[in-house]
Amino acid sequence: MVNFTVDEIRGMMDKKRNIRNMSVIAHVDHGKSTLTDSLVSKAGIIANARAGETRFTDTRKDEQDRCITIKSTAISMYFELEEKDLVFITNPDQREKSEKGFLINLIDSPGHVDFSSEVTAALRVTDGALVVVDCVSGVCVQTETVLRQAIAERIKPILFMNKMDRALLELQLESEELYQTFQRIVENVNVIIATYSDDSGPMGEVRVDPSKGSVGFGSGLHGWAFTLKQFAEMYADKFKIDLVKLMNRLWGENFFNATTKKWSKQKDNDNKRSFCMYVLDPIYKVFKAIMNFQKEEIDSLLKKIGVTIKHEDADKDGKALLKVVMRTWLPAGEALLQMIAIHLPSPVVAQKYRMEMLYEGPHDDEAAIGIKNCDPEAPLMMYVSKMVPTSDKGRFYAFGRVFSGKVITGQKARIMGPNFQPGKKEDLYEKTIQRTILMMGRYVEAIEDVPSGNICGLVGVDQFLVKTGTITTYKNAHNMKVMKFSVSPVVRVAVEPKNPADLPKLVEGLKRLAKSDPMVQCINEESGEHIVAGAGELHLEICLKDLEEDHACIPIKKSDPVVSYRETVSEESNQMCLSKSPNKHNRLFMKATPMPDGLPEDIDEGKVNPRDDFKTRARYLGEKYEYDVTEARKIWCFGPEGTGPNILVDCSKGVQYLNEIKDSVVAGFQWAAKEGVMAEENLRGVRFNIYDVTLHTDAIHRGGGQIIPTTRRCLYACLLTAAPRLMEPVYLCEIQCPEVAVGGIYGVLNRRRGHVFEESQVAGTPMFVVKAYLPVNESFGFTADLRSNTGGQAFPQCVFDHWQILPGDPCEPGSKPYVVVQETRKRKGLKEGLPDLAQYLDKL
Amino acid sequence: MFYLIGLGLGDAKDITVKGLEIVKKCDKVFLEGYTSILTVGQEVLETFYGRPLIVADRDLCESNIDDILKEAKVKDIALLVVGDPLGATTHTDMLLRAKEFEVETQIVHNASIMNAVSCCGLQLYNFGETVSIPYWTETWKPNSFFEKILGNYKRNLHTLCLLDIKVKEPTEESITKKVRQYMDPKFMSVKEAARQIIQIIENHSDETDITIDTLAIGLSRVGAPDQKIKAMALKDMQKLELGPPLHSLVIPARNLHPLELDYLAQFR
Repeated sequence: MVNFTVDEIRGMMDKKRNIRNMSVIAHVDHGKSTLTDSLVSKAGIIANARAGETRFTDTRKDEQDRCITIKSTAISMYFELEEKDLVFITNPDQREKSEKGFLINLIDSPGHVDFSSEVTAALRVTDGALVVVDCVSGVCVQTETVLRQAIAERIKPILFMNKMDRALLELQLESEELYQTFQRIVENVNVIIATYSDDSGPMGEVRVDPSKGSVGFGSGLHGWAFTLKQFAEMYADKFKIDLVKLMNRLWGENFFNATTKKWSKQKDNDNKRSFCMYVLDPIYKVFKAIMNFQKEEIDSLLKKIGVTIKHEDADKDGKALLKVVMRTWLPAGEALLQMIAIHLPSPVVAQKYRMEMLYEGPHDDEAAIGIKNCDPEAPLMMYVSKMVPTSDKGRFYAFGRVFSGKVITGQKARIMGPNFQPGKKEDLYEKTIQRTILMMGRYVEAIEDVPSGNICGLVGVDQFLVKTGTITTYKNAHNMKVMKFSVSPVVRVAVEPKNPADLPKLVEGLKRLAKSDPMVQCINEESGEHIVAGAGELHLEICLKDLEEDHACIPIKKSDPVVSYRETVSEESNQMCLSKSPNKHNRLFMKATPMPDGLPEDIDEGKVNPRDDFKTRARYLGEKYEYDVTEARKIWCFGPEGTGPNILVDCSKGVQYLNEIKDSVVAGFQWAAKEGVMAEENLRGVRFNIYDVTLHTDAIHRGGGQIIPTTRRCLYACLLTAAPRLMEPVYLCEIQCPEVAVGGIYGVLNRRRGHVFEESQVAGTPMFVVKAYLPVNESFGFTADLRSNTGGQAFPQCVFDHWQILPGDPCEPGSKPYVVVQETRKRKGLKEGLPDLAQYLDKL
Repeated sequence: MFYLIGLGLGDAKDITVKGLEIVKKCDKVFLEGYTSILTVGQEVLETFYGRPLIVADRDLCESNIDDILKEAKVKDIALLVVGDPLGATTHTDMLLRAKEFEVETQIVHNASIMNAVSCCGLQLYNFGETVSIPYWTETWKPNSFFEKILGNYKRNLHTLCLLDIKVKEPTEESITKKVRQYMDPKFMSVKEAARQIIQIIENHSDETDITIDTLAIGLSRVGAPDQKIKAMALKDMQKLELGPPLHSLVIPARNLHPLELDYLAQFR
C-alpha cells in the first residue's frame, strides 16, 4: 500500500460504519482474480499498468501456473467516495458522519467446485459478495452453488457481468442481443436469490437491479467497468433529469425516440432501447473505431468521452489502445468500489441480521448483543474460519473475523473448538493471543489490536484449534455456529511414505494438511492406514501435492482414489432383534426401518436437527413424514457425530431406569452409525426404534461396558434383518461445449453410468450446456476422457449432489454392492465375507 | 465336570475343605478376578493350593467362557470365585450355558458379604434389597440405587450397599474402539460412597427421609483379620478413612431392635 501505514489502517478500523467486508465469488474461470486485481490496482497496491496480468491474489506458484485460485486470499483496501456520491448512502449505519474513506476487506476465493469449502470459509467472515458472472457463459453450476450458500449465510450480493470484451470482440453480439443476455443473467441470479430468501426477510431487498446500480458491467481483463450510475452521470446534466430517475430510465423497457425526443414504454419502429442507445452504443462505437483503425473517428470519439491519451500510449493501436482508452474512460476500480461502498452492508448493518445465524447461544446474552451491535466495547467474539500457512513450516495464522469486542495482542482469551459445550472443559483452552496481524495478499503486518467488524489473523492459536473455532473473553459464551459445507469429502486415497522410516513425518504432515484446508479430512484408520479425503480429484491432487512438498516433505505413495459409501436399509427389520449384554442380565429389543424420502436431506440441511425444540420437531416430522408425534418426541439422538442423518427413537413404554442407560445406548448408536455392519461405512437414512429393554435391577450391572457393545450388536442385527443396501455419492455434472461435441458427451456418460437430465443451448451463443448425474465412483479420469472424446471441446464441472442407492443386494455374492463391500472390507483390514447375523442376534 | 468354588472373604485359608480337595484334583483352575478380590494375592493362593492358577478377567468369563465349558466335558475344570459363587456375584448364566452344552456342574458354597455383613450386629432378617453404588463419571450419574435405599428405609429395612470395584474395565473412550485400553484398578471406599449419596440428597428436589445426619455403617475387609467396622452419621462418613479395600456400606433401618443397637454401640 503506497500511502498507507498500519496506523492509518488501524484508524479506519474504528469507523465501523465505513467498513465493507466482502468476498468475490464466481464459477471457475469467470475472471474473479483478474477483476480483483483491478480493484487492488485502484487501491494502490500494485501499479496501474500491470493490472490484468498479475493475479495479485494468487499467491501460490501452482495457482499462477494453472491460472486458477486454490486458496482464498484477503486484502484490505482503502477507497474514498466523492461528496456527490455520498448521497447514495441513505442508511445512517452505512457511513460515519463526515467520513468519506472506506476500508474494504476483500477475499478472493476459488471458483472451482472442488475448492468450494474455501468459499464457505470466506463467506463466513464477510457481509457482502461480489458475484462475478461471465456474460458469455452465463450463470453456471458453481455460481448457483456459492450464491445459494451466500444467501443462506445472509450475505448480500451484488452482480458483475464480466468479459464484455469477449461478447463484443469474439461473439460480435448486437446491442439488443447483448442487452437480452444481460437481462437474462440478472433474471437468473434473481431467481436463485428469490428461491433462498425473500425481500420481506431480515436482510431487506436482496435482489440485484441494474437500475439501482447494484449490477456492474465490464471487463476485468481490460480493466474497465461501469454501472448505470456512471452513464447516468454523463447524461444527467444534458437531460436535466435527476440521476436516480435517469438510472431507472436506462434499464428495462424504456425506449427513446431521438427525433421526437419522447420516452416510451414500448418498442416502436423509430425508437430505441435506452440502454442500447445511451450505454452500449457509445461503447460499440469506441470498439468499432479502434478495432477498425479509424484514426479520425477515434480522435473525435475520444474528445466526446473526454479521454486524453497519455504520451507513452500514443503509438498504440488495436487491442492495446482499446484497453488504454476503455480503462481511462471507465476505470474498473472506480465503478466497482462505488458499487461496493454504496450497495454492500457495513458490519453494523449486517451483524444485526446475521447474529441469529452466527451464534449458538441465547440471543440475548452479552455475546449475542455484542455481535448484534458490532460493539467494540463488548466482550470479544471472534470466529476463526480457516488456517493460513506461515513461512514458518508447520505453523499457521488463524484467520477470522472479529464480531464483537476487540482482539488484542497479549490478551488472555478462551479458545473454543467446534466440540466445546458451554459449562464443560472439552475443546477449550484459555491462552494468550501471541500476536494480532493484518493479512494482505502475500504480506502480513503486525497490529496492536483489531476491533469488531474487521478481519484479521492471529499467531499462536493454531496449536489449539484444528480448523475453526470461536475466540472469546466472555466466560459464558457459546460457540459461533460451525460452517456448513456445500460439498463433502467423498473421494479418498490412502497414503504411505515411500520410505517406511518416514512414517512419523507423514503423520505430522497429515496433521498440518488437515489444518491448512477447511475441508480435507485426514483419517488414521485403526488398521494403520492413513486416509486423505477430499471433494474431488483436483482437490485431492492439490492436497497430496501440498502434503508431499510442503507439509511432510517426503516422497509419498498413494493408492487409487476410492469413494466413501453409505450404508442404509431398504425395509423394516423382518423380526424383533434381541441382543443380550455380556453378563446376560440386560436385553435390548430393537428394529431398524428406512427413513422416508427427503428426511435424510432435511437433516443434512439442518431443517431437522438435534438442537430443535423437540415438540416443534415432532410436529414437523408428523406433518411432513407422517411420523407418530409421540414417538417423534422421543428421538434420543442423531448420528453419527450427534448430527448425522440417522435417528434413534425410544418407542418403549414404562421401562424402569431407562434414562440411566440412555447415554450408553446413545454411545453405542453413535458407534454403529459411524461404522456400519456391512463395511464399516457411515449409515444414512436409518431409523432405529427401541421397543423394549430388560435391565438388571442394579446400576453396576448395566454400566457402559455392558450396554454400549450390546447396543451396537443389536443395531447391527437390526441392519442385517432390514435388507441392507449401499449408497454411493453422485455428482451433478455440468458440461459446456459446442453442439458438435454433444454426441461425444453422451457416449462418455453412458459408459460411466451417468445420465443426462437437461440439455440446453446457452441463449445467444453456439454453446450447449449438458447437465447430468454421474456416480463419483465413475468420475475418476472423467475430465480427460471427456476431452479426448470431444476433441478437447467439453469442460465438465462436477459438484457433489446427492446419495443414491447402488442397485443390488450387498449380501448376494457377485452383485455390484457385494464387490464394493468386499473391497472396502479388505482395504480396512476386516474379515472378508459377509457379517454373520448370529454374532449379533441373541435367542430369547 | 465344571466346578464353581467359593473362596470366602478373608484369606487363602477360607476355602472349604471340599473346595480345596477339588482344586487339588482339577486339570485346570481359573481364578475369577473382576467381581471381587481377596486380601491376599494370586501367589499366596498358588502356594497354599500347591498348583498354578489362571486369572480369568471379565472378557473371559462373559464372552469367551464357552470354550472352557466345552473343555469341561472331558476334563475337570474349576472356577474360583471370591465370596460365594452365586452370592453378590451372579454366575448363573455360566451354569445355564453349561447345561446347554450338557456339561455337569457342581457348586461349592462359601461365605459372602451378603451374609457376613451381619458382623456389624444388624439382623440379616431385616435387610431389604441389596444395591451397588457405581462410580459416577462426568456424564453418567445414576441415582436409582438411592431410591431403593429410600424404599428399604421406608419399610424399616436395612440396606447393604456394595461398592464399585474396577479391576480391569475398559475406558469409556476405548469401548467403541478396536483396541481396548483399561482403566487403572480402583475400589470405592465408604468415604466416596457417602459423598455420592450426600450429593444425591443435596440435589433432591424435596426433603428425603434419609438426610446427612442419618446413621450409616462402614465396613472394610470383612472376614479378614484386620476388618474394621464404624458407625456414624453420613456427613461424618464422607471424611472417614477405613483403610485398604474392599469396603461396604450399610444404611440401617430407622428403628433398630434393642439388641442391634447394643451391638452397634461398640462401633460408634
